[in-house]
This record gives sequence, structure tokens and C-alpha cells, in this order.
Amino acid sequence: MTKEELILCNPLRFMGYKTEDIIAEGGFGAVLARAGIGKTAFLVQLALNALLRSKNVLHISLNDPVNKVSLWYQELFRHLSKSCEANQIDQLWKAILPHRFIMTFKVEGFSVPKLEERLTDLTEQNIFSPQVVVVDGLPFDESAQGLLSDLKVLAKNHSTHVWFTVRTHRHEEIDPDGMPASFSRVADLFEVAIQLQPEGKDIHVKALKGETATSDHSALLLDPSTMLIKDKA
Amino acid sequence: MENATKNIRNIGISAHIDSGKTTLTERILFYSKRIHAIHDVKGKDGVGATMDSMELEKERGITIASAATYCKWQDHTINIIDTPGHVDFTIEVERSLRVLDGAILVLCSVGGVQSQSITVDQQMKRYNVPCIAFINKCDRSGANPFRVIKQLKDKLGHNAVAMQIPIGLEADLIGVIDLVTMKAIYFDGDNGENVRVEDIPENLLSDAMEKQEELIDVASMFSDELAEAVLEEKELTEDLIIAAVRKGTLTREITPVFIGSAYKNKGVQPLLDAVTSLLPAPSDVKNEALDMESDEAVVTLSNDPKKPVVALAFKLEEGQYGQLTYIRVYQGTLAKGSTVINVRNGKKIKIGRVVRMHADQMEDIEAISAGYIGALFGIDCASGDTFATPGLSLTMTSMFVPNPVISLAIIPNDNKSQINISKALNRFTREDPTFKTYVDNETNETIIEGMGELHLEVYVERMRREYNADVTTGKPRVAYRETITGRAEFNYIHKKQTGGAGQFGRVAGYMEPVAEEDFVFENKVVGGRIPTQFIASCEKGFKKCLAKGPKMGFLITGIKVVINDGASHSVDSSEMAFQAAARGAFLEGYAKAGPVIHEPIMKVVAETPTEFQGSVMGLLNQRRGMIVGAQDEGTMCTIEAQVPLSEMFGFSTVLRSSTQGTAQFTMEFLLYKQVPQSIAEELANKKATEEKKK
Repeated sequence: MTKEELILCNPLRFMGYKTEDIIAEGGFGAVLARAGIGKTAFLVQLALNALLRSKNVLHISLNDPVNKVSLWYQELFRHLSKSCEANQIDQLWKAILPHRFIMTFKVEGFSVPKLEERLTDLTEQNIFSPQVVVVDGLPFDESAQGLLSDLKVLAKNHSTHVWFTVRTHRHEEIDPDGMPASFSRVADLFEVAIQLQPEGKDIHVKALKGETATSDHSALLLDPSTMLIKDKA
Repeated sequence: MENATKNIRNIGISAHIDSGKTTLTERILFYSKRIHAIHDVKGKDGVGATMDSMELEKERGITIASAATYCKWQDHTINIIDTPGHVDFTIEVERSLRVLDGAILVLCSVGGVQSQSITVDQQMKRYNVPCIAFINKCDRSGANPFRVIKQLKDKLGHNAVAMQIPIGLEADLIGVIDLVTMKAIYFDGDNGENVRVEDIPENLLSDAMEKQEELIDVASMFSDELAEAVLEEKELTEDLIIAAVRKGTLTREITPVFIGSAYKNKGVQPLLDAVTSLLPAPSDVKNEALDMESDEAVVTLSNDPKKPVVALAFKLEEGQYGQLTYIRVYQGTLAKGSTVINVRNGKKIKIGRVVRMHADQMEDIEAISAGYIGALFGIDCASGDTFATPGLSLTMTSMFVPNPVISLAIIPNDNKSQINISKALNRFTREDPTFKTYVDNETNETIIEGMGELHLEVYVERMRREYNADVTTGKPRVAYRETITGRAEFNYIHKKQTGGAGQFGRVAGYMEPVAEEDFVFENKVVGGRIPTQFIASCEKGFKKCLAKGPKMGFLITGIKVVINDGASHSVDSSEMAFQAAARGAFLEGYAKAGPVIHEPIMKVVAETPTEFQGSVMGLLNQRRGMIVGAQDEGTMCTIEAQVPLSEMFGFSTVLRSSTQGTAQFTMEFLLYKQVPQSIAEELANKKATEEKKK
């Protein structure tokens, strides 16, 4: 089993995007869901998909320690390769690992200048230069707007695109365009927004913003047992 | 010796390097009146702490061997094993934990939960050892015990709950508030030996109430009685709270946290009270042994001193008066003059002197009964052996022993040293199962193997000091391995006719890589093409090839050999002939199977102040390290990386010099991984040069 086969097997391609990357350089994508639905799992799968394409992924976590984040990757990779009946997964896993870098911060200690300093440390010494950044656990409150704008500049400078998880709340008001109020404040900054919506036993992957939002495309589900994205068919 | 096992506590003190374990032990011995003066680890008086009995330990300010000692507190006997804090000596920690019923996890109030604390905690989990935490060094600037409690919860997943809050912090630390009795405790006198209990100062009362509420919230999960009392707003007695906390502690569901500063003599006595009231007695712990006669069935031991003896030798030490064997008795009583058998080899042993140890001083006793730790003299055994009453064939579960990853050649400089070295090695290998030694047949050098650079360094130093052996050491060598990456077939005929009986054997089949096993042999020969009596010879022939790989001469692992065809001759085939045929077949297949070299990769965890994060990452990266991640924790930062062992020599010096001595690191073996092409070529060139020299 080659990387290509594993990529093809990954249902993310069903998202219906023509280009390889869903978002352009400097662009933002968001995965919205309530607590415990599977935001991190979805994000990690986006990251794994990029890793399999030999892209460098910087995973920034604001809640979990490095060990826990690696465990997410390990588990989801295991499930993914199992569902695709891949063999020699050990070698594949070893091959993608050097493309991943995990950084964890405390929520209160996270700032763009700090991240920039760390990134410069990494890129100047040729240790790691990210092509995709995923940010898990950033609170989308009133203060987020400024931070996100700064991050946008940083992403452009480093020619990367950034995926975020956005935690929504049950009681939150929904805007006419279907977006939760806390997110719609900053929605302009985002090119793509995907919502994970539990309906009965299933978790539906719904595009709120972006290319597929207009088309009728809600064929993806999140399997609650493996947290893998799967095709409805 | 008292038989009331409910009043015994066998505890260990485990922690990260430099968290103050030895200092804490020293204070415990002082307050329990076992010693009458305090000497600090790196003290100016040159005496060193009592527990660091080895000269080397005194010099380096570290604790290598876990000295066992005991003390009395109120009407309880506390046996203490002082455990080393460095990962290189982890087998010591593991062995100590095996015989302990409970532990004190010492944490630094500034450093918090550090990498080594995580390793130690995992070991405690493995052996299911209940623990209480002591946040030490609260007198140091930057001390924040509540941050450490949060780390205990977040990083180690403990249900940590404060049992005390400090009165003042850093230089102003003067005492603690006990949240159970709701009293302030101060420590007066030159050495804090006079405990003064008073009412809680006004300004801390609301804090104390709040924290007590948290404590009761957690504790009430473990006691219906307490929960009921809380709901009905009855008076909560101390006993009720303590009983609930103890219940949670014994099942590792609560970690009660105590606060103080051993060096400044604050908070040690309440900690001792907690050891007696919260940690388990031997009878609270379920100990299991394996019955060798009924297929290693699990047998639960009872703590009854009248039952047949089952005891475990957990540590050997060569003292001034001969070999000293530390043992823990799990069942029955081991008395002077009685006879037991060593279950491993069935040898009978007559018990001579029985002693109780206090660092390097000892005290003769008559017997050691169930639940106690003691030592025997002049017993011939290895560490990890089980002693039992003749007729019993119970063995305590075997301990996890990792394989060595680094080796070093040692060369004696004179004849006398040679004799001394062999004496020393004989003793060290018995004491420490992770330390191994052998003679290289080709170079005729004595090679020692162990778990890390420091591990071997300490043993070489001990040879010099304790055995007067004048030795030179070679460069440390990494235990590389060879393996194959693909499937290859072989079909080899061994034929020899040089007068006398000839030799004939044909072996055919294939070899392929196998994960998780070193060597698998499968016989699929049908129709007697290789007679059954020669199959074992074939296996032996293949096995012999594994010790020295044809590519670079390293050990071969991860290989599966399947034989499915062959031929024999009624006269000329012999065991020898098939062994030779197997060897030939192996070489034929191996060359085609894509042989590669694997090297040990270490998991390195470096802790550094954030300003040096970049340079530490650079250092790791230069050493072919793959950085897994960086964890930002305010002022400190933890970097986790996977680095080849061969690149880690001398890392501690480089790390220290490039971070102004503020960073530290620990490493442990993680996995074997294929070496990059350039390094493989380098190794091949090196080997070629070495062979030329010969």
C-alpha cells in the first residue's frame, strides 16, 4: 500500500474540492462543533491527509500535552490504515512522522509574537518549516479577532494555511446564514467553515462556508466509533 | 520484632533528580530519632547525608544504590527505601517499587512535575503502588505548590488534593495549615523538631475553609458516611475524613498532597503522620506469587507470619563482611537457623545472620516476619530470586528487565587489576540485571553493557574506587543490529568429500522480516526430505548465524526462516552437515533479503527555560534528532525528541554549557530504527579500517 492509495482511500476527497488544498496560502479554515463531537479528530485527519502528501504540518494545541496529541495521530492513523486495509503501516507511519511538529501552549500564554518567535527558531535553524498549521483549542471570544488578524499575516508570511477548531454551544444563537454568533464575528477571515452536526446516531459533516456550501453536499459522516470521516454511501 | 503488621509501612521515596529525596529521608530519620545530627547531601561538613553510603554518591551528590533503612514514628515501624532519581538507574527504582507497599512522590515546588517524575509515576502505576505527594522546596523563590497540584492533575492524571496549605511562601514559609484538623502547624527549634499547633491565622482562614471544602468534596466520593454527614450538615470528624482519603489513596484514586521544605525543616513531621495514617500496611496490599508446579497459576499470599515462608531477594550488596542480600518477606517468618530453598535453582539455603539495615550500619535480629524488609548474610543468590519453605514452589512475579543499549570495552592496566575487575563484574552483574558483561572473542576485550553512558561510567568508577582496579575504557559503543527488509529464497547444498565420511545436506526455503520477535523458525518440510532428527540441527545452524550478521557483524533480529524442502544422504548426512548447510543457506538468503542496520533510538525529554528553547532544539536537531513536539509551560518548556543513541554521547555537557546550566534532560530507550544510508556507509568504512588494522 502506498501513500497515494491511502490518500485516495481517505474520504476527505469527497469534500468535492477541485484543487489538492482546500484553502489557499494564508487562508483560514474552521471546524465547528459542540464539545465532544469530534473536532480534534476531524482536524487530525485533515493533518494526516496533508502529512500523507508529504506536507509539513505544525499542530498547535492549547489544551493537550504533546503525548496526548501524538496519541490522537497514532489512533486515527491506525484506524485509517485499517479501514483502507493498508499494510506496512509501520513504515508509512515512520515516513510521515518527521513531517509533523507538535507545539503546545497554555491558552493564556499563547500569543502571535510568541508563536512567531518559536517559528523563527525552527525555520532559521532549518529544523522545520510548516506548510499547514492546525490550531486546536483556541477560544473564539471577543479577544479572538485581533489575534486572528495577526495570525493571518503570519500565515501569509510563512505561506501556510491554517485550520482551527471552533467550539460552539448548544444555547448559542444561529445567524441566518447558519453560523453560530461567536463565529460569525470573525467569519470574514475564513475561507472555509465546516460544521459537525450530530443528528440521531450520526454526525454529519456540513459545509457552512466555502466552495461546497452552495452545492448540495452533505454526503460525509463522522463515524462515532472510530472518529473517522466516512462516505455516507 | 513486632508482629502487628498493621503498624508497618514499607515505603519508597521517588522523585526527579535534585527534588530533595535524600534530604527528606535524612530529616525523617532525624525526627524519628534514628540519627542525631543532620548532614546535607552537598553539605559543607563533608559527612554527606546518612543515606548516601557509597563514597561516590557522596561526591556526586546523587543517590545510586537504594539503601534500606527503618525508623519508628509514633507506634509504627517505617521501612524506607531511598531510590535513585536518574533514569540510568531505573532498574533500581523498579526493584524498590516491587517490594514497596506505598510511596512518597517528592516534587519540587518550583520545577513541578518534571520528566523523571512522569517515568517514576508510570512505574508506580505498573506496580500499583499507592502514593502521597510531598511538594518540597517551598522555601525557594518561585515556589508555587498549587501550580504543582494542577500539574499532578493535568500531566499525571492524578486526582490530587491538597491536605495542607502553606503559611507564607518562599523565604517567608513558616509553617503549614492542616486542612483536616484545621489547625496551623509551626516548626520551632534549631532543626524544626518542636511542633507547635495553633489556631489558623485570621488572614488565611477563608483560604483554608475554601481548600478544606475542596478536600471534603473529593474525599466524600469514597465514603458514604462522610457524604451523608456533609449532606446532613453534621460535624465532620477528623477520623471520618482521614478514613475516606485513605480509602481513595489505597486504590490510587486520590493523591493527597503535603507541603513543606525538608531543607528548612518544615512539614516533615505531618508527612510522617500521613505515612502512618494514609499509606497501606502490608496487610492492606494483595501480593501475588506464581505457582511453578501448576503452570504458573496466580496464588494470593497471606500476610500470616505462621504460614510457610515466601520471600523475595530484591537487592544484593557486597559489604565489608561479605554479600548482603536485602529481602522482603511476603508470607511466614524467616528466622535465623531455618532452612529455605531458592525456587529458581532448587538449592537449599540455611539462614545464618539476619540483620536490619540502616544505610551502612546494621543491627542483628532473630527473624524477619511477613511484611518486613531485612537483610541476610552470606547467601548465594541473584537479585530477583524467591526463597520459600521447602516443598513450596512459588515464585514472585518476574520483574521487567530492559535490554542494554550501550557497551564499553574495559582494559585492565596490570595483572592485579584484572583479578579485581572480574571480582567487581561478578558482583555488579548479580546486583543489577541491566548491567551485563562478556568477553569479545575476537578482540579478547572485556565488554560491559548497560542502559546509558552514566550507568556504565558509575560502574567503572566503582571498580576504580571499591576494587582498586586500574582500568582504561574504550569508547562507548552502540548496540547496532542487523535485520532484513524483504523476502528471499535460499536453496543450498552442502557437500564435502575429502576422505573419510563425507558430508551432505540440502536446505531450501525462504526468509522474511518479522516484527516484534527476534527469531522465528518454521519447519514446512514434508515427506521426510530432511529427516526429522536433522530439523533441530538446521534450526541450530540458522540460530548460530544470528549472533554475528554477515553485513556488519552485529546481532541479527526480526527474522523468520521457513524451510520447506531439502535432501539428505543415507550415509553422508549428519547433524554437522545440516548445521553447515543451514549456515550456507542463511548466507545465501540473507544477501538477497535486503539487509539493513538498525540503531537504538532514545526518547529524549529536555526541560529548559523558554529563552533557550531554540538553541536546545538546534542541539537536538544537529544530533539527527526528530523533534516530536515542544510544550510551553510558562517559564519552562519541555522538548520531546527521538534521537539516535550514537549521537547522544557527551550531550549533557553540551546542553549545560549552551543553556548556562539551566536545562536538564532524561533519556530512555524507545525503539530500533534503520540507520540512514550515509551513516551506514560510515559504519562500513569504519569496520573496513578496523579490519585492515588487524
